[in-house]
Amino acid sequence: MPTIEFSGKQLEVNEEGFLVHPEEWTEDLAAHLACKEEGLDAMTDEHWAVIRFIRGHYEANGSAPMVRSICRTTGVALKRIYELFPSGPARGACKLAGLPKPDGCV
Amino acid sequence: MPELDELEARLARLEPADFERGLAVFRGKLRGAEASYLETCVRCGLCADSCHYFRADHELKSIPAYKLSQVASVFKRHCTVEGRLASALLGAKSFDRAMARTWVEAIFGRCSLCGRCSLNCTTGIHIATVLRAARSALAEMGLVPSDLQSVVTQSLESGNNMGITKQDWIETVEWLEEELQTAVGDPGARIPVDKEGARVLFTVNPREPKFFPLSLQASATVFHAAKEDWTVASEGWDLTNYGLFTGDSVQAGAIADNLLRSMQRLGCRVLIIGECGHGYAAARWEAPEWLGREHGFEVRSFLELMEDYFREGRLKVDPDRHQDPVTLHDPCNLVRHGGVCEPQRTILRRTVRRFVEMIPNRAENFCCGGGGGQLAMARFQAKRVQAGGVKAEQIRRSGAKTVVAPCHNCIDQLMELNREYRLGVSIKTVAEIVADALVFDQPVGR
Repeated sequence: MPTIEFSGKQLEVNEEGFLVHPEEWTEDLAAHLACKEEGLDAMTDEHWAVIRFIRGHYEANGSAPMVRSICRTTGVALKRIYELFPSGPARGACKLAGLPKPDGCV
Repeated sequence: MPELDELEARLARLEPADFERGLAVFRGKLRGAEASYLETCVRCGLCADSCHYFRADHELKSIPAYKLSQVASVFKRHCTVEGRLASALLGAKSFDRAMARTWVEAIFGRCSLCGRCSLNCTTGIHIATVLRAARSALAEMGLVPSDLQSVVTQSLESGNNMGITKQDWIETVEWLEEELQTAVGDPGARIPVDKEGARVLFTVNPREPKFFPLSLQASATVFHAAKEDWTVASEGWDLTNYGLFTGDSVQAGAIADNLLRSMQRLGCRVLIIGECGHGYAAARWEAPEWLGREHGFEVRSFLELMEDYFREGRLKVDPDRHQDPVTLHDPCNLVRHGGVCEPQRTILRRTVRRFVEMIPNRAENFCCGGGGGQLAMARFQAKRVQAGGVKAEQIRRSGAKTVVAPCHNCIDQLMELNREYRLGVSIKTVAEIVADALVFDQPVGR
């Protein structure tokens, strides 16, 4: 199982970079992954709004939210989501929010 | 749980009876002609260059004939008299744990069941069919990689492969209906749900409502422009069927039945499979095999339906909206296996200014690398992206700025290739290209 090093700790990830232990996630890690995994220069307020919502939904429900909920709750327009996260909501935003890889064609 | 160790644990638990059951399933999947294929490979090696895995890594283990030989050697040992009597002479090998591990690596790890080798085999061996039968054997033995199996399990448990609740699905459809009304400027535009007796039942990939709804909105825009009598179903709306990839026909049949029951419940006339390769092959060609009965209705791809609309003059488009060169990917299950090849080309030639074919194309096109369930199996990710290099090169050479892929699974792989190989292209469904070019009639008097 691959690992990534962050803040002096080895974190297990799957071969696609999703955290194996979602409870190890922190906001600092999200910022780190944003740069390393998603190629973002910096996290904006919009990025944080999306990531915090996804994370909160995951912690409450154990699953990723529908993109409709992301848009409605954060006020970020649908097309803007794909600009913010070039890999898309699943491989992009959900990965940065520390979720395990969702099932399905993603 | 580390996937590799977990597979080893499953291998270690195998009993002789498990191997027996696996072999019985394998034999049962092969018709006489396919069994004879196992003896007919002449090692000409032409299949090597037909395979995107081999073209990308040049490893012996990636040559289709090599993968076939691993399966054939077991067949010879256990299913032929001469193989039982003179196994060493004939290269017949026992089906044991080491061989089962070899099968998993070869058939799940280095094959997307794209079938391009079958097409290019000098002796006409249906290699992909044989390898899929071998997947069925592995499924019977409980050796499907767990992340691929979990997609099938999710479909069986929740009715769709992402576990989307009925409420979330309906709310998303309602939201998209509002977006559609705004986009086309018509408060009467609808995405009907459970409309009994509608002519068309439209089915979608769960990743559309969950994460990528623009393609679903584009499809709805096309239906609206064509004034179709259509509906989506509140339950049994997921067109995907990962049972095709695991090879478990019972589970695949149960998933396919979700769509058929929707057709029955709503009394629609045509089941339209949205833009998806494996979903089309599963519903159109495989489901009657799995379920042991014919469909009592038409099953068609959305591409065929859109071509009808153009032929009937129901869609008006302005190709000037798409000035940049556009190329087209051929999803294996839709084109090589499914036979839907020309509708998407007819549509694109009318809808964009510069349509350029990638080379090779149509049935000879290469797999994107994400087929056969590869995208779901994280442990083979590096190999998948490496094998996708062949597709990346095709795209680069086409000079296109937009790649159209009538398959959501392919789109996901292409998105990753776009990043990994820095292609700088945008990736769209056919419906998205059509919707962006649609011209709506102005109401009279304006």
